[in-house]
Amino acid sequence: MSEVAIVGVGCVGFQPILPELSYKELMYEAAVKAYEDAGVDPRKDVDVFITCAEDYLEGFSIFDEFVPDQLGAVLRPLFTVSGDGLLGLANAYMLIKTGHFDTVVLEAHSKASDLLTLMDVIAFALDPVLNRPLGGHPYYVAGMEMNRYLHDTCATVEQCAQVVVKNRKNACGNPYAAYGANMTLDQVLCSDMYFYPLKKLEISTPADGCVVMVLASEKVAEKLTDKPVWVKGVGWCTETPNLETKDWSKSVDTRLAAEMAYKTAKIHNPRKEVDLAEVNDLFAYKELQHMEALKLCACGEAGKLTEEGVTARNGELPVNPSGGLLGMGYGLEASGMEKLLEVVLQLRSEAGRRQIRDAEIGLAHAWRGIPTTTGIVAVLSNNK
Amino acid sequence: MSLDKITNPLHIRHWLGDMEADYIYTLGIAGEHFFKEIKENGRIMGAKCPRCNVVIVPPRMYCEKCFAKLEEWVDVGTKGTIHTFTVATIDVDGKKLKEPVIFALVKFERGCGGLIHKIGETKTKEVKIGMNVEAVFKPSFERKASINDIKYFKPTE
Ligand SMILES: [Zn+2]
Repeated sequence: MSEVAIVGVGCVGFQPILPELSYKELMYEAAVKAYEDAGVDPRKDVDVFITCAEDYLEGFSIFDEFVPDQLGAVLRPLFTVSGDGLLGLANAYMLIKTGHFDTVVLEAHSKASDLLTLMDVIAFALDPVLNRPLGGHPYYVAGMEMNRYLHDTCATVEQCAQVVVKNRKNACGNPYAAYGANMTLDQVLCSDMYFYPLKKLEISTPADGCVVMVLASEKVAEKLTDKPVWVKGVGWCTETPNLETKDWSKSVDTRLAAEMAYKTAKIHNPRKEVDLAEVNDLFAYKELQHMEALKLCACGEAGKLTEEGVTARNGELPVNPSGGLLGMGYGLEASGMEKLLEVVLQLRSEAGRRQIRDAEIGLAHAWRGIPTTTGIVAVLSNNK
Repeated sequence: MSLDKITNPLHIRHWLGDMEADYIYTLGIAGEHFFKEIKENGRIMGAKCPRCNVVIVPPRMYCEKCFAKLEEWVDVGTKGTIHTFTVATIDVDGKKLKEPVIFALVKFERGCGGLIHKIGETKTKEVKIGMNVEAVFKPSFERKASINDIKYFKPTE
């Protein structure tokens, strides 16, 4: 079975708003960059196109019909995954593994600034009969989860705040990041308490941007580039849609997704083998919870490691050197692609002043946000 | 350095669109049973899984752990404990609420799962994980077979 490689990437954004480009132009610009990077002509060289988008976030019914032209995919095989970009990666990986397809294009974007009522759309994802009639800002769910996570793991509010300080600082070195900043722990701790114990600055702010990638089979990849980044394993899992029965302490979906990806990638000791991890940090505490689910440390240990600087960019286990969603901005269904982009750039040694020396194995992780329990994991390497 | 960058897209030339989308959500067999008991008898029901030997709250027609069909309805009482909670200070538009709202997951002794609801008749500083609470129902003539037939849960003595 052929190995699968990422052979081209293109990114536009991420910025708080990208007023000059429509969503189609945004996708076009990112696609042009990716095709140039890979050295492919979308009208001739691509077998399948995959976009990742969700109608309500886009403001269209049947949004998947609105994607071929700006990707060079008119009259070509194309489908849309209603999920995070990393779920699209899993699909691209499987297509190439079948042996029937050699070149696959993967796209996900966020035009969050077009959506004036994002929180209403998220609230609409709650159970219509059991939860929605209670009203309220849907992120109360995150406040409840953080509270139980802290209760069970003894992680501290300072450790959660440290995630924000670290990630927004990392973002200062990332030209694709919207919200780089040098902050103090006190600034985070003193920000408004929105959903106790979750504070305003611990919540990622939406941003606009688009990431397009070109994937190829082994034989095509080796012709196209001398810097392929190999997809060694993917895994995905959904726990339950029911807030009443889900686990409020651990991310069990991420744990199972990670086990699935590690098995394929033959990773036995993630803490030792993974050189950098791009982990969902939509809310600061989620980075800690997800690190534990990903077996990057023991349960309850992530906060301490963050405090000790182990997860800093120059630490022993860098987590979110890109700046994460707290620093890059929350890219809706492109959130996982923000993570994947950083891993690809790091493994190609193209991460500029964020570069982690000798990085060989990188992990990208996505979670689909409130109120979902879907986790997706990809393990990548610059060694076949 | 400003920490909050400008994020108002309305300053850009644009076309404003909205979507009218109204739905009804039928309750189904388990939901019908659950809300009828709340409305008519002020009781909170679960469904017993014979295979897992747990009572799932709110009741469902099937067990999400083992996929068995559930047909036995069980009264789990109106008293439970707070599994986790939060205090929301902003509304869905991001505006500060006049009074903070406490949301919680209340678990019942006999049940797996529980109910997401509000906590009332207490101060935000006094709420704790593990606290004992009980459901406060609206008077029966005001009940509409809705989750809001329960006004909130309040701490028990
Ligand atoms: Zn069962």
